[in-house]
Amino acid sequence: MANQGRITLTIAGFLLLALLHHEVLGKFDDKKSMTLNGVVTSVEWKNPHAHLMMNVRSATGVVNWAIELESTNDLERSGWTRESAKPGDAVRVDGIAARDGSPQVWARSVVLTSTGKKILDVRPATPPVVKQSQPTPLWPDGKPRLGPPPGGTGYWAYPSAVSLVQQGTSVPMDANGLLRNIGDVDKVAPFQRWARDLYELRQRNFLRDDPMFLYCIPPGGPRQYQLPYGLQFVEDRNFQRIFVLIGSGNRNFRMINTDGRALTGQLAGDADNPLYYGRSVGKWEADTFVIQSAGFNEKFWFSNGGLPHTERLRMTERLSRPDFDTLKYEVNIDDPGAYTKPWSSGWTLRWVAGEELPIYFCVENRP
Amino acid sequence: MNVSYRLLLAAALICSPLLAKSLSAQNGAPAAGRERRAVPPKPIEHFSDGTVNLGISSQERGLWLPLDRTDLGRRSTLAPVDTIPFQPWAKALYDDRQIHELEPHTRCKASGVSRQFQTPYGVDIVQMPDLNRIYIFDVGGPHTFRIIYMDGRPHPKDLRPSFYGHSVGRWEGDTLVVETVGYSEDFWLDRTGLPHTEKLRTVERFTRTDFNLMKYEVLIDDPNVYSRPWSGGFNFRWSSNIELFEYVCQDNNTAPVLMMKGDEPIVLQKPFVP
Repeated sequence: MANQGRITLTIAGFLLLALLHHEVLGKFDDKKSMTLNGVVTSVEWKNPHAHLMMNVRSATGVVNWAIELESTNDLERSGWTRESAKPGDAVRVDGIAARDGSPQVWARSVVLTSTGKKILDVRPATPPVVKQSQPTPLWPDGKPRLGPPPGGTGYWAYPSAVSLVQQGTSVPMDANGLLRNIGDVDKVAPFQRWARDLYELRQRNFLRDDPMFLYCIPPGGPRQYQLPYGLQFVEDRNFQRIFVLIGSGNRNFRMINTDGRALTGQLAGDADNPLYYGRSVGKWEADTFVIQSAGFNEKFWFSNGGLPHTERLRMTERLSRPDFDTLKYEVNIDDPGAYTKPWSSGWTLRWVAGEELPIYFCVENRP
Repeated sequence: MNVSYRLLLAAALICSPLLAKSLSAQNGAPAAGRERRAVPPKPIEHFSDGTVNLGISSQERGLWLPLDRTDLGRRSTLAPVDTIPFQPWAKALYDDRQIHELEPHTRCKASGVSRQFQTPYGVDIVQMPDLNRIYIFDVGGPHTFRIIYMDGRPHPKDLRPSFYGHSVGRWEGDTLVVETVGYSEDFWLDRTGLPHTEKLRTVERFTRTDFNLMKYEVLIDDPNVYSRPWSGGFNFRWSSNIELFEYVCQDNNTAPVLMMKGDEPIVLQKPFVP
């Protein structure tokens, strides 16, 4: 029974993951439900979120409303295309209204008035079933392959945790790291006072100030392992570097040097310039790939949920692949600028076999 | 020329404009240029499967940059403008872009083809034979990568248009031939504003003619914009002893706000504002 309960919880977690990518509640108020009837004027089939523009007639005249939908990746995965709603279609939209009173709605359902058919809804993505039967793929020297087997295809996604939380602690939160109970703030990490208060402020604002979403800032730090479109490793053993291909941001990448260099910067030297992805060097310790990173700037959120960090952040990540379908991720956070002591967090990701890393560009719908 | 000599020379040049003048007068050419002629290019390397190495090698790291910064100028493009078979509307748009320059790249859109090879920061071409893929990593732009599938797969149906579309490649001798469809219209083909539509198909040919030079040719086929397919291209030069570095266009980019009419407040109802 205990097992069954855990499975149900896990599935509920994945449902959330599939349904919310950016903190919708930062912009929309789930206590303000509304229904709109109108005519589609245009379709914006672009990431991060697709939109229908729609004319709605009222006593005071016609207003053009923006109807915000899920990402095009999720809509397409559920069988919808940019032709699924066309200008001129009469639709009924049920959703929640913008907090600031502007004419925009987060759609919970879109129905074609003419047929009564529901369109543009998103089926929750089903995580792949973990098969314990397949062994970890290996390089000829016996080290685990972090990416696909030779000639294979796949990537890592469906993280089992969506935000940094110090090890040994359980804190309920949604898919974007928004706490279910704001009273849990102090459980999340060994914050210094200012960092705790900033974290709480970001939480109380429903994460609406997230620069990754607002300005398409890269998901540096552990965050690249928390996002819905996953990541991939390209191990360029010929030239001693590993690339992390990131399914979020703007189809970003991060380079980890494995050539034994010091953690001081690129060949030409840029050690003084703080970066979004920092500088990373990695090496194998038995079957675990250990990455040391430093040189981060402070202009991004390094985790879902808005945990702060400073330029003093040093990060040790440990990657292992206990079986074909599982990537184990552990991270140690050492940031004396924001936390009272070094602390650790970790989770697993699942192998999505036979599929390409989704194509996702945050900048798509920007002007 | 070793690094310390370069530094010395640079210091001398900075300290004494007169000395600099006399140096170049003596040599008849910049010292660096003479040095380049004196050293024969390194041999091109091949991987164990026989494919030519288009990227970094055991000999040195580097990035590919446009051969000549004048290639980046307003007046130059993939081909002389008067030889490009524009449809009239497309020529009018191209001309308009020369005056009202609102290049998507300046607003941190991903570069697209062939624009990705025209940034001043370069690209790294990474071949992964055992994955049947080649990756191109952009420095300029929003820190983006591009995939070229080398396993003979066809283009899928129902591609959602994107900045790099769907690229499949093959080798013709030592030339990498890449065919791409599924482009979005959210970028300019080149720095000067060549237009295209989602009908665009490109065939790019990459030939490393010597260690330091890549010949880049591209066939542009877009029946919505050009009256016939046409070819253009330019050369890349190998810039040695640098490697991929982090450049993130979004870092300090205020263009999106400027594009939304200066001081006017951003209207939240517009879909592109999150």
